[in-house]
Amino acid sequence: MARIGVFVCHCGENIGRTVDCAAVAETLAGHPGVAHAEDYKYMCSDPGQALIKRAIIDKRLTGVVVAACSPHMHEKTFRRAASQAGLNPFMCEMANIREHCSWIHEDRDAATAKAIDTARTIVEKVKHNEPLQTIHIPVTKRALVIGGGIAGIQAALDIADGGHEVVLVEKDPSIGGHMAQLSETFPTLDCSQCILTPRMVEAYQHPNIKLMTWSEVEAVDGYIGNFTVTVRKKARSVDADVCNGCGDCLAACPNRRTPSEFDAGLGTRSAIYVPFPQAVPNTPVIDRANCGRFKAIAKGIKKEVCGKCAEACLKGAIDFTQQDELVTEEVGAIVVATGYQLYSIGRAQPEGLTGYGEYGYGEIPDVIDGLQFERLASASGPTAGELRRPSDGKVPQTVVFVHCVGSRDPEKGMAYCSKICCMYNAKHAMLYRHKVHDGRAVLFYMDVRAAGKGYDEFTRRAVEEDGAEYLRGRVSRLYRDGDVIKVVGYDTLAHEPVEIDADMVVLATAIRPQPGIKQLAQTLSVSYDEHGFINEAHPKLRPVETNTAGVYVAGACQAPRDIPDSVAMASAAAAKVLGLFSVAELEREPAVAAVNETTCVGCLTCQRVCPYGAVEAKEIRDRDGNVVRTVASINPGVCQGCGTCQAVCMSKSIELATFTDAEMYSEIEALAFWP
Amino acid sequence: MTEPHDLTTEAPEATTGAPGAAREAAPDRYPETGAPDETGDLHGVARHVLAKGEADVVIGWEEGRRGVRPAFVTTPDDVERLVFDTRCVHNLATYLNPRRRQVAALGRPAVVIKGCDAKAVAGLLREAQLSRDQVVLIGVRCGGVLEVAELDEPADLTPETVSPRCYRCDNREPHLVDYLVGDPQAEPPRPPKTVDERVAELEDAPVAERWHFWVEEFSRCVRCYACREVCPLCICERCVADKSVPQWIDAASHPRGNLSWNLTRALHLAGRCVECGECERACPSGLPLMLLNRKLAQAVRQRFDYVAGDDPEVPAPVGDYRLDDAEEFIR
Amino acid sequence: MSGDGHADEFEPRITAFVCNWCTYTGADLAGTSRLHMASNVRIIRVPCTGRIDPLFIVKAFERGADGVIVSGCHPADCHYTAGNYHARRRFALFRELAAFVGIDPGRMTFSWVSASEGAKWRDVVNDTVARVRALGPFDEYRRLVDLPDASGESYATIEGLLGRTAP
Repeated sequence: MARIGVFVCHCGENIGRTVDCAAVAETLAGHPGVAHAEDYKYMCSDPGQALIKRAIIDKRLTGVVVAACSPHMHEKTFRRAASQAGLNPFMCEMANIREHCSWIHEDRDAATAKAIDTARTIVEKVKHNEPLQTIHIPVTKRALVIGGGIAGIQAALDIADGGHEVVLVEKDPSIGGHMAQLSETFPTLDCSQCILTPRMVEAYQHPNIKLMTWSEVEAVDGYIGNFTVTVRKKARSVDADVCNGCGDCLAACPNRRTPSEFDAGLGTRSAIYVPFPQAVPNTPVIDRANCGRFKAIAKGIKKEVCGKCAEACLKGAIDFTQQDELVTEEVGAIVVATGYQLYSIGRAQPEGLTGYGEYGYGEIPDVIDGLQFERLASASGPTAGELRRPSDGKVPQTVVFVHCVGSRDPEKGMAYCSKICCMYNAKHAMLYRHKVHDGRAVLFYMDVRAAGKGYDEFTRRAVEEDGAEYLRGRVSRLYRDGDVIKVVGYDTLAHEPVEIDADMVVLATAIRPQPGIKQLAQTLSVSYDEHGFINEAHPKLRPVETNTAGVYVAGACQAPRDIPDSVAMASAAAAKVLGLFSVAELEREPAVAAVNETTCVGCLTCQRVCPYGAVEAKEIRDRDGNVVRTVASINPGVCQGCGTCQAVCMSKSIELATFTDAEMYSEIEALAFWP
Repeated sequence: MTEPHDLTTEAPEATTGAPGAAREAAPDRYPETGAPDETGDLHGVARHVLAKGEADVVIGWEEGRRGVRPAFVTTPDDVERLVFDTRCVHNLATYLNPRRRQVAALGRPAVVIKGCDAKAVAGLLREAQLSRDQVVLIGVRCGGVLEVAELDEPADLTPETVSPRCYRCDNREPHLVDYLVGDPQAEPPRPPKTVDERVAELEDAPVAERWHFWVEEFSRCVRCYACREVCPLCICERCVADKSVPQWIDAASHPRGNLSWNLTRALHLAGRCVECGECERACPSGLPLMLLNRKLAQAVRQRFDYVAGDDPEVPAPVGDYRLDDAEEFIR
Repeated sequence: MSGDGHADEFEPRITAFVCNWCTYTGADLAGTSRLHMASNVRIIRVPCTGRIDPLFIVKAFERGADGVIVSGCHPADCHYTAGNYHARRRFALFRELAAFVGIDPGRMTFSWVSASEGAKWRDVVNDTVARVRALGPFDEYRRLVDLPDASGESYATIEGLLGRTAP
């Protein structure tokens, strides 16, 4: 038999002014199952809480209802008090008679009647509440970082420095990401590789970091604190333990015409290659699609073709027979830092995008994108830092930079702003003018977005000191006219069409998430927006968490980000991971759903609706081990307690603790006794 | 009802499953092609699957005392009992429902299915109540069935005798089959009043009249649950109507529980119902349950672009969502 | 019951099912902002609109509610990512079915009220109360369930149910 205590708070005058608190207590005292009811000036005060504790003990209460403010305000307070008096905290609930009653009504009788109803409803609920125990989840104090760009490196270093092991997985042969490709960085114009490569080496040498390059995450099982990750180590065809990185194999390779990914297609590389001289690790990879030997094997030619790299390798590190390898890693947290790609506007477009054929990208060799310009300007690039245009190696005398190509264009591109282009265009203009003093740098812009420390000063310097010519307007067409590229646009400030003869055009194309991000997101059960950027758990308050507990996000895979932002996010994600790893066991509110396996028929609709992937099929076996039937099973470590599964369960075989059917039903029933 | 959804509708032309999920050519084990010679007709196929041990029992129809009745044929010699004609209204897919353990005891089944029955099989597959390799599906081409089928002889379909639910059937030739028998069938005749027209008539009536209509209908419900028992897609072992703690649906045959029950039954089948009409046929009180089913099927199609089909790979609309689902009713 | 002071005006009983994260918090904000509103609504808190079974609404009517409000997070704002999308489909169908069997859609309000929309919550409450007041007491349902109607009469016969004999 329930023995509920009802405690009505006046909240000073806040409730008492409009609600007759004594009458509420008196009425509730007569309600079936109520063993004690009283009102008090301030229930949340120490004497108020003492009142509750004393009543719990003296009256042997089985449940407590505090009719006071919103549970969002003081539920924790009163549950703690109840718990101190020996009552299970989940047997204590609040009836909101302040925010939802006294503060919004003036008529004392009406407000009092409503307060009585509200308290009675909660009393009926508490009668059906069950004592619940906090869920404890063990934590594997080891992290996975996906993506070895600057964000992934930073996150890995921070976690590793915090004393925990990190598995850093990178799909390319080397870590470094896009930052390694950049020449100088805004707004300080310091050399990108000079600041990045020490970090790469640090990550490589860190005793707590296990680096897995040329590898991809294939499958993820489990939940916060307890993930099992399957990583595919792609066949390198080079034994990393034997290779000493001398580079003799690269020199021996007869195929040197493969476009270099690192040089954004402006330079070439051999089929066995390291992406760039400072690559980490410095172990080559055979690009099997472009290697003569593997091409012959693919064609079914029996005879062994080539093998010059193997002949050149004095260590015998080349292994043509290597196979992809699946490696399993146990981790407690995952940081996604897969970065971005540039919207490749010239080529065939995925997902119904139309591209910008009128800009001639891919057809006119001297129309390039921002990353290609970085390579042209970089001392490690195909021109060794001399600014020469791709078609004929001439030093361009007029370079046009076009902002917002594919960004802020819901019609043909992306609706969003790619955020970093205004800054790098200004940087490009400056770098160009530093190298070609008499050259003209013309920038077509929509508006210049330079919010950030030292950013606006930087773009102003481009104009004031380096003579960049900013033209407000869009470019409608680019076409070749003899030796020059005609840039046809419109100056919207002067209200007149403009036409410029350029030697080279640089398009600031939109930032997009990496291909394959949606598949990865599905593997991780994290949500993504319509563009494929990973969704953060809350846009303001949980910017580096995802909707899946234990999975965090950093850098440009969440939205277009510059280096400082990416690094800040990475450190924030690392702090979250370290916070998670700072406890021996995770404590979770027991407000989770559970399946009644007796009545469940295993239609698994619950599995389809669960936003967290908390539902799995479970086979029920007889004594001989034969599968008798399949039912749904909910992982309490993953369930977040939304109850959507419960509402779709036709046979009512799921109960969400704290919002069970019996509790909801009794609340609805309670309202039937209105006066 | 609320604009902008056009609710006066008729079944679409030959679309099944979600539009866009257009079915490719024939399924793997498609009929006539590659099937043995003796499988040209229902008897031949039945004999074949029993003789070759593809199935232990063929579930079909046979002559009964009043019209046809379900038949369970376990030996090749018995296949001559099987019939298929316009009286074969029963949805035999219901025997594949795991709740019918007594049928499972007969062994591995082969089931004769019409187009609507195939949709029910797809529903069972979709909801993991059945696995495709557990069952042999013998599809029959169907040109509609009778509304009143308790006849000694098969009868031709006329506008007056055809079951209105067959009008504009989009699955006269089931796709989800291992064998397909019978000749291609013409479209069933148009009944004097289609189900859509009856739904529309009710919808045009004032809300109070609709209430009176349904209260009167539901007042005759005796809560025998024949509708549930016959339904191939009522898969719950323990129906919500039989749950007593808490008792959401009053168990007594009283108007209050009758309304809750009938609303719940229809809602639980929303987006799942294949409109085979078995609930209405089984109802001893003659409740027009197909009107509820049809109303929801219309809503599901207009809102979620979904029509129940016999492709089990197309997900059901409830349990799914689209970011741009219509929400004109939400403030 | 309401603070409006019209003594003999019908005061509808309205049950509201609101999600914990958006609408409940929005209603809290209405309180902290002292936005006065009709007192006819009784709130039942659920974690998410995804938790709400149409049977809740049916049961509320069965227990004498004249109107029901279901309110949760705006699309894309769901605390649980997608509960409201599932709820949207579920209630789209329920509302059409309920209307089809003669439950006036005016007795049901579905709304998205965010944690920052205290004023919208007030408007949802006031508008629903006004609309249901205009529709009058849901006596048809009360007759159905054998509850006495506003005049204290009970109708356990089919004639009573259908309102064919004057009470």
